[in-house]
Formats: sequence, C-alpha cells, structure tokens
Amino acid sequence: MWGETMINKRKKLIAGMTTAIMTLGIFTGCTSGKEVQNNKVEDENIVNVYSARNYDVDKELFKKFEEQTGIKVNLVEGKSDELIERMSREGDKSSADIFLTVGAESISLLKEKNLIKEISSDIINTNIPEEYRGEDWVGLTSRARVIAYDKDRVNPENIKTYDDLLKPEYKGKILARSSTSSYNIAMLSSFIQEDGEEKAKEWAQGVVNNLARIPEGNDRDQVKAIAAGIGDVAIINSYYIAKMVNSSDVEEVNASKNIGLIFPEETHINLSFGSITKSAKNQENAIKLLEFLTSEEAQSAYAEANGEFPLNQKVELPELLKSWGEFETQHIDFEKLGENKQKATLIFDQVGWK
Amino acid sequence: MKKLKFNGWAVLSTIISLMIVLPNLDIIIHLFQKPNETWFHIKEYLLKDYITASIIIVTFTIIFTVIIGVTLAWLISAYDFPFRKFLRWSLILPLAIPPYIGAYTYAGMMSYTGVVQRFFRNTLSIEVNQKYFDIMSIEGTIFIFTLFLFPYVYMVTRTFLEKQSAGLIESARLLGSNSVGVFFRVIMPICRGVIVAGSTLVALEVLSDYGVVSYFGVQTFSTAIFKSWISLGDVDSAIRLAGILMVVVFLILSSEKVLRGRKKFSFTNTKVRPIKRKKLKGIYKILASSYALLVFSLGFLIPVAQMIAWSFMSYKNIYYSDFFKMITNSILLAAGCSFLIVVMSLIIANHSRINSNILSKIYSKVTLIGYSIPGAVIAITMILFFVDIDSKFKGLALSTSIAMLIFAYLVRFLAVGFENIEGGFEKIGNKFTEASRSLGYGVTKTFFKVDIYMLKSVILGAFALTFVEIIKELPLVLNLRPFNFYTLSTKVFEYANDEMIPESAIPSLIIVIVSFIAIFILYKVADKEDA
Repeated sequence: MWGETMINKRKKLIAGMTTAIMTLGIFTGCTSGKEVQNNKVEDENIVNVYSARNYDVDKELFKKFEEQTGIKVNLVEGKSDELIERMSREGDKSSADIFLTVGAESISLLKEKNLIKEISSDIINTNIPEEYRGEDWVGLTSRARVIAYDKDRVNPENIKTYDDLLKPEYKGKILARSSTSSYNIAMLSSFIQEDGEEKAKEWAQGVVNNLARIPEGNDRDQVKAIAAGIGDVAIINSYYIAKMVNSSDVEEVNASKNIGLIFPEETHINLSFGSITKSAKNQENAIKLLEFLTSEEAQSAYAEANGEFPLNQKVELPELLKSWGEFETQHIDFEKLGENKQKATLIFDQVGWK
Repeated sequence: MKKLKFNGWAVLSTIISLMIVLPNLDIIIHLFQKPNETWFHIKEYLLKDYITASIIIVTFTIIFTVIIGVTLAWLISAYDFPFRKFLRWSLILPLAIPPYIGAYTYAGMMSYTGVVQRFFRNTLSIEVNQKYFDIMSIEGTIFIFTLFLFPYVYMVTRTFLEKQSAGLIESARLLGSNSVGVFFRVIMPICRGVIVAGSTLVALEVLSDYGVVSYFGVQTFSTAIFKSWISLGDVDSAIRLAGILMVVVFLILSSEKVLRGRKKFSFTNTKVRPIKRKKLKGIYKILASSYALLVFSLGFLIPVAQMIAWSFMSYKNIYYSDFFKMITNSILLAAGCSFLIVVMSLIIANHSRINSNILSKIYSKVTLIGYSIPGAVIAITMILFFVDIDSKFKGLALSTSIAMLIFAYLVRFLAVGFENIEGGFEKIGNKFTEASRSLGYGVTKTFFKVDIYMLKSVILGAFALTFVEIIKELPLVLNLRPFNFYTLSTKVFEYANDEMIPESAIPSLIIVIVSFIAIFILYKVADKEDA
C-alpha cells in the first residue's frame, strides 16, 4: 500500500515537473522565436525602439504611428544610461533602430561610444529649429528647470536669476533633490558650460548653504515641502507642476495651488531627444517615426499630456504652459552638455550636496 | 552503478555553479584592472560615508528583522491566541510589496499631502512639526526594510520551530523554565542556523537595493555604484565597486558556517510531532494578538489600503492596453523561473549534503553571489555574456530573446531558493537518508523516494518565496526584456519613475494580489501535505 502511493505520488511529481518544463519551454520558445524572426526578416515593416521616455503618451503616439503608416513599433523601455550601456554592449548586434531619451547630456556619450548616426530628413528640419537638433540627434521636447515658490512667503520680484537663490534672506529656505538626480547634474553642467567651473561651484556651494534640509525625495516632494512650510523655494522641473495641477490626488492639486513658478533669466532647459542607432536595420522606418514624433500632432500631445515644451514652433501651447508666459532660455551647446557631467558630479560632492 | 549516480549530482552541481559564476567573471576581472580617476574621487569623497551608512542600515535591519521574525515565529508556533491561524500564513505577505513601493507608499502617507498629516490638519486642525513626519532618512530606510523583509526570518524560523522543537520545548517547560527562559535558552540557540539563513537574505537584499535609498536620498554603497556609472559615466568603476561588494559578501557568507555552529538539530524520531501549543489567556492573549496584528498591519494592511485608495483616484488615468498580457507574462515568468530555481537548489543542496567537501561548500556559497549586488549591474554583465555567446554560435539570438532574462533570474534568485531548501535539508538531517541507503537505495533513488517527500512543504515554501521575489523584481526585467515585453513591475516602474505614485498603485496592487493568491494556495497545499 505504502509503496503504491509513493509510486503514484512520484508519478504525479514527475508529471508535474514535465508539464512545468514544457510550459516554460513553449513560453520561451514562442517569445524567442518571434524575436529571431524580427531580426532575420529585415524587410518586415517594423521599427525597433529603445526608449527612456516611459510615458503613456509615447505609447499612444506609437499606436497612432502604426495606424497611419502600417509600420509596427517594437518597444523596449528603460532608464537612459542603462539602455545606452545595453546598446553599447550589444554593439552591432543591437536590434535597436531608434533611441529616445530624456536629457541632452546623453548626446556626447552616444557620440563617444559611436552608437548613433546621421539623420537626414527635410521634414524633421522644418519641424524642429536648428538650435534643437544636430547631425545625429533631434530634439523632441524641452523641459525647464525652474524655481517654485510659495506665493505668500516669497516675493517673486526678488528672484530674477538662479544666483538670487544665494541671497542671505533664503538661508534655510531652499529645497532641492539629491545631486544624484540627472536633472541637477544636467543643470550644473550647463552652468559650467556657460560660466565656468569656478562660478558653478560657488553657486552650488551657495545653494547648499541655504538648504532647508538635506536633499531627499523627488521633484514633487520638494513642492509638497513648500506647502508644508519646510522651505519657501524649490528647484524643480516645470512639468511636474503641470502634472501636480492635473494630479489624480486632490491633496496634490491643493498643495500646488499656492505655488508660483519663476523662470529665471537664462532658464536652464534640457531636451528630450531621439537618435537613429548605428546598428539600425530599419533606418527608413526610423526616420519616419522621428518625423512623426516631431510633427504638430505628436508635439502637441507631448505638451498636453506631459506639460513638456514642444519644439515644433507651430504647436500652440496648452493654457497652463501659456500662463507661465514667455521666458528667456540659456543658449548652450547641447552636444557638449554631457562633457561636464563628471565635473558637475565632482563639484556636488565637494560642496556636500548630498 | 552507485558511483555513477553519485557523480551525476556532482556534475550537475558543477554545471549550475559554473552557470552562476561565468557571467559574473566580467565583474571579478574588473577588480584587477588599474584604478582610474573616478576611483580616486569615490575613495576620497564618498566611500567612507557610504560604507558606514550601508553597515548601519544592514546591521539594524538585521537586528529588527530577527527580533520581529523570531518572536512572531515563536508566538505562532508555541501559543494559541485569536487570529493565530490567519496570521500564521499571512505574516509572509509583506514580502509581496517591493520595498521601493513600500517606501513610496509610506513617504506618500506621511507627507504633507498624505493621509496622516491631512487627518491632523483637516480633522483635528493641528499644524504638526514636519520633522516628526520625515521618513526619508537612515532610520526610515531601516523601518521600510524591516517591515517588508522580516518575513524571510519569520518564515524559516516558523517552519523550523513547528517541526523541530516540540521535544525540546516541552522538556524545558517540564523542567520549570518559564516562557522567557525557554525563548532565550532554547529557541534562540536551536534557531541559530535558520536565523542566519533568513537574515542572510535580508542583508543581501538590503545591500543590493537602490530603489529605496535613491528615493530617500540616503547614500549607501549602491549609491557609489550608480554614481560612478550614471553621474560620472564610468561603468568600469561601477562594476569594480560591485565586484568588491560581491567578494566581501562572499567572504562573509563563507564564514557563515562558523556562525551556524557545529551543533545539528534534526529530527530524532520518525514521527514529527508538532509543538503542543499553549493557550494564552487574559492580557497575554490580547498582547500576542495585537503585536502580531500590528506588524501585519504595518507591513501589509496599511500600505495596501493606501494603494487601494490611490487606485480609486487614478484608475481613470491609466493606459490599460495589454494589461492582461502583462499579468500573464509576470505569472509565467515568475512560475517558470521559480520552478527551475527550486530544482537547481535541490540539486546543489543535496550534493553538498551527501558530499561534504570544500568544493560542495563553495558551490553552496556561489549560489548567493548573484543576490549580493544591484540587479542593474548583473543585467549589463548578462548582456555582454549573451552577446558573446551569440557571436560564437552562429544563428543564435539569445541576447534578443527572453532566455537572457530567465537566465539572469536564475543567477540572481538561486540564493532565495537555496537558502530555504538547504535549511530544509539541514532540518531533516541524514538519518532517514542513511536508513534508506542502508536498505539498498542509491542516492538518487533515496532523493526521489524519501528526501523529496520529507521536504515537500519546504519546497513549496521556497517556490512561493522565489515566485514573489521574481514577480516584484525590477532592474533585471527592465534591462533584459525583449521587445514589447511588459510585466506588472515594469508598469509600476513607468509610473513611479514619472513620480505618478497613485497611478503606480494599480499594477502594484495586482502584484500584491497575485502574490497573495500564490502564497495562499501554496500554504494550503503545504499544510495538507504536512497533515
């Protein structure tokens, strides 16, 4: 009896194991089979995208693109530097045709690693002003890193430049997130490019001296900290205010009500951009996708859904963005922005910006 | 004949260990490369503070997870009190919440716009001092890790106590030891082995985390790794730092055997007798229930309630395309990989038990290395490894398939399966195996006919843990997935990364629900087997 049940149980176990292995096999087989096909059949109508723009609006746009052109968009999303490392390690075996990311500081890295190639398209050239594109990259949107303030406690007239944050009256009043944030690194990199290392370091030191608390949280948390009275002014990306105003959390909407935005002289802007990869096998489709993403339709979707500034000048700004008024931006060489990343990081560490 | 089968276990163990080591060789090689400028910067400005912070966080997290995990395991297995039956299995549920999601959730609740301060402000009209509500600190980090990782310790200890300690505890009680005495003089010493196993997993998970600490702005050793890579653009230094972490962890763990001590506590008679639980009365009953319920609420109920509240706010804003496929992807991936991991763990654990030599000891420590460093570093190493394989064998396209991701999961989470299964083997000891073999069964036959049956609930437990780990895992699936492959955790990432925490609550909640169901089923099955 005992022996029999043992054998039965063993049979059950083995059957279970086999089923599991087979399931896994089929599961991996199917997926990898499909992928192999994608690579082999090069004239298939597809475009392979690596994207660090992890937004729903992007996926909706890809869908529209598929409907309009019949070109299937295959997508891998991730974080910018990790995707760049992935492409670099995949080398010419990489199946990526297009790389989309946020943060122009990546351009120099992509060039240095020889991962991107020339884009030539008249459509793109008319869609996007020359300032926001290069030989092998094209800007999609811009984001401004601005100063948020409490409307009751701060007179915006007193803050005209980023340097005004260093005034003694803001001691213990400034909020900023950690220096590991790519937004802060890009910002300081742009200051290094414009005014040199010495001045950039002075500025960073000045901000650290005036900080209300040790940097923590993300950009939205800085705004909440203003509402909570921990500090009066915060360095944040403008589109987070746009997102807070439209937040699904009523309390976040309330917290953003008493917050004003200052676009200082020479406001620091960074770009979200796209490039075609060296290994691209579907180059024409890739160009078509970039043309679509720079079109008025896509650009206004970026602005509406994400509060980013469209680079296609024909697009009308959404109400909220319009309400911030015209502002003067810095004019930096985006291709060189990444070259100062290391210096910026060193400065942050030296001045003790956690 | 016997000899041949015996070698089979050794060969398989060797293959599995090589599988783990080979892709990580690149990391080890970086240790011997010449240090560069970044390296000196990191050493000068950062390393000391970062290491100190890491040590503080790991130490206190271990202390608290052990206190909470062991006391709960002890209460549940030795006493009877209200809700005991429910808490017995549900106390493992906090594991279903990824620590970084737990961090976002608690930070959200405690923030100015969160439910706690709102209550003070709007209902009680009290303006609170923000200082006391700031969770984004080293203390807060320890709090988060403790809440969401203590089940590792709880689970191994409870399984061990339920099976193991009846005789000892009853003798101690008979000899006049009171509860406290039994706990410190009997429970703690006999549990030493499983506590070390459980807290090893806790320590490794804390060390490899970057999600919680980067959001909280707490700077730890993994900050150094990512700062080198992302901010300083120096991948080599990043890998080098990861390599140092890996080696240090490996060395510490290799001395773990010493910590476990020489004493073996395994079944001494054929009938495993559960502890006779003492019925708690009066105040003790209330205290025991409230303590266990408090931990369960903090680690599961409260964050889940917050997630549900967020889901109601945000469900309209979510882009639902392919949601169902995301769920099946997550489940298949987690189930398939967990199955493979359990099989691999059984092989290595059985081999190292039968054949106790240096090599088998090394194998059993090798299983842990993938769990010690940040997932993103494992990911980029995997890519290199698979691209290499693909270019050596024409026609292969593993690096663009899901095979790469599955392989990476095996490397990373073998530790979780192995620590649990090894503990199980240790618990059943060698007596039955020896009996079986002296009756003429070979090692393999004994394994299938005796060991597996005795380990069934352990195997199911190991499967459940690995399943939950994989379904919530982020960096590997983010970096290694093929085109158009989405899981629940990549969806969580998309929203969380964009600071849309309420939106990330829905996929997080589904992860929790799936894990909940998996744990529930596996526990019911395991209990039936035990009965």
